[in-house]
Amino acid sequence: MKKILLTMVGGFALVASAQQVTVTSNSRLLKGVEGPAYYPVLNSTGTQLLFASGDAYGLKIYDFADNVVNRISDEPGAGIDATFNANGDVYYVTQKVGEGNLVYRTGMRFEKATAKSEVVLEAQHGYVRPDVGTSGNGFKGAKKSLAPSKGVGTSVCVQGSKLFITTNGVTKEYTPVESYAGYLWASLSPDGKKVAFFAAGKGIVVTDLNGKVLSMLGKYEMPCWYNNDYLVAQNAKDDGHQFTSSQIMLIKADGSFKTNLTSATSMSMQPTSAAGKIVYTTIDGLLYQMTININE
Amino acid sequence: MKKTIFTSVMLLFVAVLGLNLANASTDKPHVYINPGHGGHTSDDRNVVVYPYVQGDTMGFWESNSNMYKCFALREILWKKGYKVTVSRETNTQDDDLALSTIVSLCNNSGADVFYSIHSNATGQGEGARVNFPMGFFRGYTDQPENPWCKILTEKLAPFIIGNKCTVWSSNSYQVWGDWNFQPSWGTQGYGVLRGNRTSAMLDEGSFHDYYPETYRLLNKEYCWVEGFNFSRGADSFFGRSGNFDTGVIMGNVRDDRLPREGILVMYGADKRQPVNEALVKLIDDKGTVVQTYTTDKNYNGIFVFKYVAPGSYTVEISNPHYETMTLPVEVKADDASYMNIDLKRIRETPPAVVSYSPVWKEGDAPVRCNEPIVFQFNWDMDTQATEEALEITPKVDGKFVWEDTNYRLVFTPVDAYDVDTEYTVTLKKSAKHGGGVEMPEDFTFKFKTADRNHIYPLAVYPSDGDQVHYKAGALMEFRTAPLLNAFNLSTYFHVYDKNGEELEFSKRTIKNNKAGDPFGYCKLPLLKELVPGEEYRLVVDKTLCDTAGLQLVEGKEYKFTAVDAGEAKDGPVVADFEAVADYVATAKESDNAATAKLTAVTDKLFGSKAVQLAYTFANYDLCGAVDVRVANPNAEVFAAGDELGAHIWGDMAYNYLDAVFADGNGNEVAEPLGLINFHGWKYVTKKLTSLEAGKAYKFVGYTLRKGPDAETPFGLTGTVKFDNVLKSGTSGVGELNQVSHVNVGPNPASDYLVATADALIEKVELFNANGQLVAVNPSNFVNVADIASGMYVLKVYVSGQVSSHKVVVKH
Repeated sequence: MKKILLTMVGGFALVASAQQVTVTSNSRLLKGVEGPAYYPVLNSTGTQLLFASGDAYGLKIYDFADNVVNRISDEPGAGIDATFNANGDVYYVTQKVGEGNLVYRTGMRFEKATAKSEVVLEAQHGYVRPDVGTSGNGFKGAKKSLAPSKGVGTSVCVQGSKLFITTNGVTKEYTPVESYAGYLWASLSPDGKKVAFFAAGKGIVVTDLNGKVLSMLGKYEMPCWYNNDYLVAQNAKDDGHQFTSSQIMLIKADGSFKTNLTSATSMSMQPTSAAGKIVYTTIDGLLYQMTININE
Repeated sequence: MKKTIFTSVMLLFVAVLGLNLANASTDKPHVYINPGHGGHTSDDRNVVVYPYVQGDTMGFWESNSNMYKCFALREILWKKGYKVTVSRETNTQDDDLALSTIVSLCNNSGADVFYSIHSNATGQGEGARVNFPMGFFRGYTDQPENPWCKILTEKLAPFIIGNKCTVWSSNSYQVWGDWNFQPSWGTQGYGVLRGNRTSAMLDEGSFHDYYPETYRLLNKEYCWVEGFNFSRGADSFFGRSGNFDTGVIMGNVRDDRLPREGILVMYGADKRQPVNEALVKLIDDKGTVVQTYTTDKNYNGIFVFKYVAPGSYTVEISNPHYETMTLPVEVKADDASYMNIDLKRIRETPPAVVSYSPVWKEGDAPVRCNEPIVFQFNWDMDTQATEEALEITPKVDGKFVWEDTNYRLVFTPVDAYDVDTEYTVTLKKSAKHGGGVEMPEDFTFKFKTADRNHIYPLAVYPSDGDQVHYKAGALMEFRTAPLLNAFNLSTYFHVYDKNGEELEFSKRTIKNNKAGDPFGYCKLPLLKELVPGEEYRLVVDKTLCDTAGLQLVEGKEYKFTAVDAGEAKDGPVVADFEAVADYVATAKESDNAATAKLTAVTDKLFGSKAVQLAYTFANYDLCGAVDVRVANPNAEVFAAGDELGAHIWGDMAYNYLDAVFADGNGNEVAEPLGLINFHGWKYVTKKLTSLEAGKAYKFVGYTLRKGPDAETPFGLTGTVKFDNVLKSGTSGVGELNQVSHVNVGPNPASDYLVATADALIEKVELFNANGQLVAVNPSNFVNVADIASGMYVLKVYVSGQVSSHKVVVKH
């Protein structure tokens, strides 16, 4: 694999210190093996990767060590918002149009040990999405939810313009910033001390576990923790109909530094990160794996 | 193919499933609405229409009308018992969410369907404007990624196309898979449909750059009705139709006659003026006014009555300038009733001419020979009755154009008026206004025309019988004395091959005259090569006009033949013009300060280079000359009666070129090759008649001469190029000036101009600087005693050929 060595010195308006970020590798993943792949999600150790086999259809899992791809589901929508449980199981949602032409969504668990999927939350009308916690995953549903037997530990999720933070079995509701359209993409920092989420119209917001705003990082999307101090995110532009540019950004959680890791014309998007590894896809579904070095 | 069958089966299955399950659920359907664009920024769509200026957020922005539709849909869906989420509540840059954010918000909301509400634009010139609705879903048109998305789109279609208060240019709702519609995007498709897990579609409800629709979309209630129709599409999809107990009336109030102006493309009733500020009352069957609406000031004539109980009503429309009108209307529950209302204008006085043109009286300067006749009236006129009432003596054929909503009539003569002629214009009293009342009496005026009514060619290349070097870029040029109207000038010129196929010009390199130029011209390079040996036609349209609008007397056609001027010839080369150092250019002593410069150029016929002479003269009215001499003349000897062959690239500057020979004592003799009245490469041959018999000469170069042409607008500056000169043993392709053995004199002349030639001269024609024929004589002379002093061109017709000579008449 030919390593691409790029060095980017932060030169943006918000730069307060002179960090130097070096892209130490950036290479195609599953080239020639898989067709278009979207919505990549790394597990916490960076050893496995979930992705949708098509635009939003199906769900597959790739094991970096074995270099093997396995199919989890062919169901529509399964690849969006799929998550790893702390034990390596995969929680995902399938959906069908049913009675009254309404959409019914089902909570599914793919058990790593048996490599089989099972229904863990019956189909219901309205939203159903995984609830990711440090102790285990569950599902939040519009009518019925599913909590893990051990509790989720610490977890964060959003609904509408509300941020829900659960610690020690207690869930509290916050509205750190005003956002008419709502919040998205909430996640805990690897050390479990900070929360990042996206507020429509405001951008990425970082809070503590009490919902106190620590920083606002700008109008980037799909934030994902790179480590306890940095996030990766998508910076996409459009003309109201289609994307005109998209790139992957590295942003310091305190807002003091940001730089682009890919060019605006790369049309790179949907980043995920764990254990020092960054994976992203492109508008035409090409997966890339990147590593970087940050000199503070 | 397999996939197509699978998709079709799936569509059938889901359609049947949808029918069976309709009305079965008690859950509220959840609709996510995305009003497209937002923020009045570069990714928004601003169409400038009066009275708004570019960037005025009160004017048309797609984000505004999309939001009005969205809010209406939300309001109605709430009333219909739906759950609704919208992606933006205001119209700021902060609300202009990224497409992937909108998709994620929709997915996160748990919605059942997703509507992205837009309007469309052609993205082309105003002449291409259209108006029809379109709906898009993700995938190919016959292979949707999610079959429900196509069903959702098709369920919406009849309600959007059912709007009868717009004017559609095409009466069908187009349903497209976005991968088919935007093939250049591959499978990227529309950003709000990518990864959208709901039954999702994007609607382009109409074309907002179709100006009458632009004005309608400024009306919030018009947009409200589109929102209402969206709700009916949602009802149809979810099997909930007919559960709403009120209906809607939407109408469009227009003048019954007045044309709408200032818009290039209009369809149907949109060609008539909408009525602003018309008061519309909705009256129930008990005579009670239940709602009122005043049409806005945005030139759309739209009125809307919302939430109307089913029943029979009367609509009364009034405006101080129109006769009040009442019409019945039936309202059905959960349905829209459309009305298109044509109001009759009140006209209180008879028609009269308020002003006219041309205004002329005895002693005034004469009127231009193409001056239109214009009447301004006090009322909009009955166009047919008024046109029939117009009488012009002497009779003139012309075209009628009505402007200012039929308040102004413009009559333009098809051809120019006769010169120096008095015309009488009468508008008979049978002319009527739009209300049918005649004028009280005839209206008459007179004008006299000027002494020039056409333009004439001053010079043209290629002219009839010319030969043109075949290479791409062959230059055609047409010159006139007055400047030509440069607007779309090249479109008046056409070159056709022998099959009648029109050849293309190289549009990027066409050159037109511009203000300050000494004469009018259009230079048109051909885009592609010609075929040597084949005949072509240069055609100039009769409608070619100068800046005053005067046209040619008739269309022109010039036949020419393509040749290869660089084809191999017999005979020794006596100068190859390869190395510029082998040649010297000097401006000859004269009082017409001249400059001359030689450079090597790659535009050549032989070898690797040719030599270019760039020259200038200071004055039109003085002679001048520039010499090009061979540093070391070739040893080949010429004698009287031999033939010279020369490859010359002409600049159509109408200067003269001589081949120069020197005898053993260094005495030079010039052999005239004729006028450089052509563009591009030409092979010129000349039998040497100027050399003294019995003496030996060597070719020593060229002399380029400018004549004493006081009013000649050509030849002050130019470039000519030279390539191989040879002692030709064969007949050449042609000679400069075709019949250069013709001599004309005296020059200047005051009584007679006389032409002499080796053959019978059939006739001579004298043209002035404007290209007008001022004298013709079927002989070899013309009497110029009564012709004004100035520069002229004498055309001499000899043995079927024509030779042009610049001459000066001086008294």
